[in-house]
Amino acid sequence: MRRRIIGALAGVTTTLFLAGCATNAPQDTWQPKGPNAQKIDNLQKPVFAVAGIIGVIVTVAIIVAVIKFRDKGQPIPHQSHGNPALEITLTIIPALILTVVGVFTFRTVFDLAKTSDTEMIINVTGQQWWWEYDYPVQNEFGITQPIITSGQLVIPAGTKVLLRQTSRDVIHSYWIPALNGKRDAVPGRVHLNRIEADKPGIYAGQCTEFCGLSHANMRMEAVALSKEDFAKWVANQLKPYTPPAENTLAKEGETVFMNQCIRCHQVNGMKRADGTPVIAAPDENVVSGAAPNLSHLMTRNTFAGATFDLLNKSCREDVWNADSESFGAKYLTGVTEDCLNQSDLRGWLRNAPAMKPMYANPALLASTGGKYRGMPNLGLTESDIEKLVAYLLTLK
Amino acid sequence: MAIIERPSTTQEVVAPATPSSSLGALKRPVATTGWKSWLFTVDHKKLGIMYSAAALFFFIVGGLEAVLIRLQLAAPNGKVLNADLYNQMFTMHATTMVFLFVMPMAAGLANYFIPLQIGARDVAFPRINAFSFWAFLFGGLFLNMSWFLGGAADGGWFMYAPNSGPIYSPSHGIDFWILGLQITGIASLAGAVNLITTVLNMRAPGMKLMRMPIFTWMQLVVQFLLLFAVPVITVALFLLSFQRNFDATFFDVAAGADPLLWQHLFWIFGHPEVYILILPSFGVISEVIPVFSRKPLFGYPFVVFSGAAIGFVGWGVWAHHMFASGLGPVSVAVFSIATMAIAVPTGVKVVNWTMTLWGGKLEFTAAMKFAVGLIVLFTIGGLSGVTHSVAPSDTQQTDTYYIVAHFHYVLFGGAIFGLFSGFYYWWPKVFGKMLNEKLGSWNFWMMVIGMNMTFGPMHILGLQGQPRRMYQWTEARAGEGFFNLGFWNAFASVGSLVLTTGVLLFLINIVITARNGKVAPLDPWNARSLEWMTTNPPKEHNFDSIPTVSHLDEFFHRKYQEDANGQMVQVKTAEQVMKELEDNADAHIHMPSPSYWPIVLAAGLPVITFGLIYSIPIGIVGGIIVLFGAYGWSIEPGTAPDDDFDPPTTTKDVVHVG
Repeated sequence: MRRRIIGALAGVTTTLFLAGCATNAPQDTWQPKGPNAQKIDNLQKPVFAVAGIIGVIVTVAIIVAVIKFRDKGQPIPHQSHGNPALEITLTIIPALILTVVGVFTFRTVFDLAKTSDTEMIINVTGQQWWWEYDYPVQNEFGITQPIITSGQLVIPAGTKVLLRQTSRDVIHSYWIPALNGKRDAVPGRVHLNRIEADKPGIYAGQCTEFCGLSHANMRMEAVALSKEDFAKWVANQLKPYTPPAENTLAKEGETVFMNQCIRCHQVNGMKRADGTPVIAAPDENVVSGAAPNLSHLMTRNTFAGATFDLLNKSCREDVWNADSESFGAKYLTGVTEDCLNQSDLRGWLRNAPAMKPMYANPALLASTGGKYRGMPNLGLTESDIEKLVAYLLTLK
Repeated sequence: MAIIERPSTTQEVVAPATPSSSLGALKRPVATTGWKSWLFTVDHKKLGIMYSAAALFFFIVGGLEAVLIRLQLAAPNGKVLNADLYNQMFTMHATTMVFLFVMPMAAGLANYFIPLQIGARDVAFPRINAFSFWAFLFGGLFLNMSWFLGGAADGGWFMYAPNSGPIYSPSHGIDFWILGLQITGIASLAGAVNLITTVLNMRAPGMKLMRMPIFTWMQLVVQFLLLFAVPVITVALFLLSFQRNFDATFFDVAAGADPLLWQHLFWIFGHPEVYILILPSFGVISEVIPVFSRKPLFGYPFVVFSGAAIGFVGWGVWAHHMFASGLGPVSVAVFSIATMAIAVPTGVKVVNWTMTLWGGKLEFTAAMKFAVGLIVLFTIGGLSGVTHSVAPSDTQQTDTYYIVAHFHYVLFGGAIFGLFSGFYYWWPKVFGKMLNEKLGSWNFWMMVIGMNMTFGPMHILGLQGQPRRMYQWTEARAGEGFFNLGFWNAFASVGSLVLTTGVLLFLINIVITARNGKVAPLDPWNARSLEWMTTNPPKEHNFDSIPTVSHLDEFFHRKYQEDANGQMVQVKTAEQVMKELEDNADAHIHMPSPSYWPIVLAAGLPVITFGLIYSIPIGIVGGIIVLFGAYGWSIEPGTAPDDDFDPPTTTKDVVHVG
């Protein structure tokens, strides 16, 4: 009878707990979408159940004691100093439970650390406050030249991807809860983190090691595409630069870009009028020494550390809510002019630090040798912004 | 002041003024009343009160910081604080609660009650005790001064390198933080040495270690933890200090450093620190529960040894704070198992408290309510702790609100509930007046409800993916449905206001009690241990005669004995027990004399640290103050010369302390 009551209580508690949860929380740790996260889930669910049951037993025991032994005028109890046999039993039982948990933990830890069957490698580098993804040459995936992107990590679904993580400044932590647990990105070290998505789709994440002022605005998204779609994505990333047509607003935007943005942001293949390549110099201007590479910017859905959407609300929802069949095609459409989130992009170009705090105090730039942490307010005119937006839309 | 002759409770003793012809650079302070008597006191009881009062002040400061944090997070894209201020706020909230509230509050209780519980008249080194208090207070104030001098520390209380370096945190906040903690660290170390010596050397005759009250036992374990843990953080802080102020490169990756060095140093200190915070409260409720259950602590030796075991194993689990740091599977697996192992002695304590209740004659005073509350809330926190001892799960949970929920159940539901239990239990002892029990009950229930409303939903927030230390959260990641993360964030914020109300009720209770509280009877709780075998508040010399101890729970066994049928019956009242002590009062009791030097020496420390931040010459001035203090201290005898004191004919009658 008592056992049944405890069981019922545990059931009610679990139901209440689950009913009290959000549905479709993008970073839910209990919704694994790949084998690594699944292994963690398989381990943690029973542990939660056991912990919950023990919690209920202890609570019930205390409630019973509190009610049953309340002072009702009974005589002063016998001054018993304990019961070593009971004591030892109640020490051994939890020790045994934990031993079982320990065995499974041990296995899972080593299982998750396995990297020998990796199929694909991506170098992931954190810096204040965005992530860079660098795909080394891997001919079997059609990656014949290195690809550098940021904001969204694009991977083929059903493929064991090894992230080689590091950082250019402070410690960050890479976390896509649906795919795997966290792994810190530490400057001077390369940490391995294996992820794999079962199905095409988009999986949200967030930097989880406190990394300074805009830690809250350092997000990431992993985009899994079917193998065919991934090949298309790679092919597009490797497509050479096409300058905007002469006498267009976009062409004027390219000039603004070359005067302003190029100090930090690279667009691969961009050339000056005299044919010399345009090379960005973020190392001279930014503390971390890097700024997002903006080649093919409009194939990504987000910008500024995945904090803001490049897609407007309805287009974004269309992509996020797509089923795994239609997701790939929708994602590969990229950002068209109709779908562009004009207000956020223009706001960013107008005054980036107002949208995302980036350096605590500009007066203290002296301590960094004049280098910025994040994008400064460039003081662009409205017409410059107009031109730049037109130009950025050509980066497909 | 120094010598009390023929003490008795029937007639107030007027201590003769200390002779003015004293050795040393300054004449001795002689005030026995007024603010001077507090400033220059070396009395462990006055210092205990000052420790606790200062800690309570910092509790209010840290609490207001917490409320601001919850207001900011009540709604998406909060605008109450900006990112910079928010980062300072959570850094200082944790720092304040850990270093400036729970630690010194526990130190205050230790100061006040360890000598009383072991039947001593003061601690082993009374002047060092005074110095510890002043160093803690000045360190804490120095730390908080950063709010007004360009911003507080903004790196999180864990202050991970390289984010804590001069490039990433250019304000002086972290410098104030480092140096403030160095000063409070000196206080903790001096206090630890003092209390260890006191416990090991100054117990009343017959009080073997295994007859020692459990609160003293737990505090002894804590002092050993402090003794070994504080030096580690001191070293780490030195490294960081040199990195920030003198261009050292201990954590500079470009110079070949490994930032994980800081994490290891910090957590080798930081994990024992967790037990430093919780064990005193375990001690408190292990006193309170037996008293209000009218039976001895179940399995006293198990509780003692599990406390000591926690103290040992606590050193082998630090890397469980670093499961996501990239230590490699072998380290992760080993620390994971070690962490599970520490759950066993912790579970032993919960079992023992529950078994103490079982079969008792329970009286639910406010102190008892907080104690029972601790068992349940701490158990929840302990079990959520077990779920992330499982390293793979922890990689999902670490740095999310699940962890925030976990350690608030452990530290608020555990450490703070234990302290509150202690407040209600010992208030009559310290101030001679009873805290209002009815208000105490309201205090308890508001705090229980508020604490569960605030921290309970954080389990859900964390498991559904809300990370910690973010100054804003966004609806885009909050999920759908009525109970989405937005709902629980708002709910937790409302809860924090309920919790605040609970704490306010306590402050109101203090005021009401001070104004017209009921005068405490001699033995208001029918207590069991030695601290109750003296007046409320205790006389300056604590005990008229040092009791000889023959039992664990000595006081109880003097009052109660088994009759022929094995029933416990009262054989003496508390007053009768007291009378016996009075009748055998020691002829001469020699108490340590007050001194200017502890506060002078401590006052030099923040001047030095100011100098390190702003200008070395100021630091030199501070150094001179410290040297002057040390000089004066070293040539001043611990006790005033006995000019007006007839030398005793035998040493038997005289008790020298300090």
